[in-house]
Amino acid sequence: MNKHFSKGLAVLALSLSIAGCQRPWAASPTLGTTDVPVDKTLSADPQLEAQIAPYRKEVTLKMSEVVGKAPAALGKGDYESPLGNFVVDLQLAQAEPIYGKPIDLSLTTNGGLRVPLPEGNITTGNVFELMPFENELVVLTLKGETVQQLFDYAAEKKFAPIGNATYTVQNGKATDIRIKGKPFDANQTYTLVTSDYLAGGGDNLHMLKEAMQTERLGLLLRDVILLQIRQLTAAGKPVTADTTQRVTVLP
Amino acid sequence: MRRRDFLKTTAVGAAGISLMGVPFSAEAAQSINLTILHTNDQHSRIDPFPDDGRKYGGMGGMARRATLIEQIRKEEPNVLLFDCGDIWQGTPYFNFFGGELEYKLMSQMKYDAATLGNHDFDNGLEGLEKMLPHARFPFLSANYDFSKTILQNRFAPYKVFQKQGVRIGVFGLGIELEGLVGKKQYGETAYLDPVATAREMVQELRQNQKCNMVVCLSHLGYKYEDGKVSDVTLAQAVEGIDLILGGHTHTFLDAPELVRHASGHETLVNQVGWSGIFLGRLDFTFSKKTMQKTSLKTALLPISRPVTAS
Repeated sequence: MNKHFSKGLAVLALSLSIAGCQRPWAASPTLGTTDVPVDKTLSADPQLEAQIAPYRKEVTLKMSEVVGKAPAALGKGDYESPLGNFVVDLQLAQAEPIYGKPIDLSLTTNGGLRVPLPEGNITTGNVFELMPFENELVVLTLKGETVQQLFDYAAEKKFAPIGNATYTVQNGKATDIRIKGKPFDANQTYTLVTSDYLAGGGDNLHMLKEAMQTERLGLLLRDVILLQIRQLTAAGKPVTADTTQRVTVLP
Repeated sequence: MRRRDFLKTTAVGAAGISLMGVPFSAEAAQSINLTILHTNDQHSRIDPFPDDGRKYGGMGGMARRATLIEQIRKEEPNVLLFDCGDIWQGTPYFNFFGGELEYKLMSQMKYDAATLGNHDFDNGLEGLEKMLPHARFPFLSANYDFSKTILQNRFAPYKVFQKQGVRIGVFGLGIELEGLVGKKQYGETAYLDPVATAREMVQELRQNQKCNMVVCLSHLGYKYEDGKVSDVTLAQAVEGIDLILGGHTHTFLDAPELVRHASGHETLVNQVGWSGIFLGRLDFTFSKKTMQKTSLKTALLPISRPVTAS
């Protein structure tokens, strides 16, 4: 109580000193900490717990559903990787039927793929951990010069897997670019499927903001990853990535 | 655990009364206490973070927050509980149930009002409309114009709360959706300038609604390097808001930021991180006497108080 009182007096003293100045009197607030931790010392409210319980049970059940099986873990790596290839390839496979025509290129970045897919059973929860964001697939139409910049970016940064293409890294630049097996033509336009996040310049992919056209597919990236795995499983196939060499790095 | 340096101060009355030498207890009888509690960017964090060594592991949890709020309600006569948007998105609870449980639990906790964050549009206007019946609290939004959408007339710009005669006007401000949310999601929702809107709100709440205090629930974000409109720029640009409760930038503040205008009017800006790791708490004291004849600032004396002893 004593302590309370002296603190109270200190605040009053401050108020008095302010009152002495030639400005309208205002009690300046004492800006102490105003946030209260919600931590283990608090017991959970039983009523809310009861309300949450059935939802939690369903979430746990859905997250632990096994959707596929991988003979080997799909991890990330420089330039290309099992996980990177798996994702850029499935973006094409899932987007093309919706888009209604073939798409030239597919792009993701390692930063967007949060964790590897594990060896063995793959659960819905694993896919949520891999792609926790609500990123949506978009199809961009790019000028040849933008495509060149994109490949140079991939060659320099090493963390941007590209599907439907091969290239050679020389002095940090992309050369001998082939798209669907054909040599890259700087005078041509190309379509690219990627996430709305990257299309908006995420991961410093500023050149993508120069797209001539952006078309939304209304597909969440997480949903198409799940769908691809489910389709593989339904067809009796394991979850594997194409590991044909796509990027050649010259010393 | 982070050491909390709470002010061990109980209610301190308006200084004007103290000057007259009224004893401390009598002075307390002359004042009205108002406790404002707030959250922002809950991001569907129903359960506490897994206690696996990660930052804030084991913290948060809506059922625990309910206990804390209930505790405060037992101690304090006048409590207002607000949320500043992005209630949704971040855990599978949202992906599987579309935000239903978040609204139900907030209703149980008796939230008084919330404003809309960009992620509250993630399931489109249809997704928002579908969930609104689960919320027994209003969403206040003054700078989104929904008149050309299915959500027209569903959100009031402000609401006035009355506590022991103190009138508290609360309005909501949202962030520009273009670039943050897909056009498909927000549709024909039009965006109005938050600064101009806030000026209108202050005018309306102070002049017409005779409010003693004006609170803004904002999802603009705390502060930006590039000068984009934020809670801090809003506090500087608009006079007459007493308290801006914010969100979007997931900012943890050691103490609220104070912006003082040339006239002497003061605006407090606060935000409490994200995911319900902390509950924001601000205690205001109003003098019963001065409230009647002076502007709010002369009577307002905010103090922060511990929730639990020691």
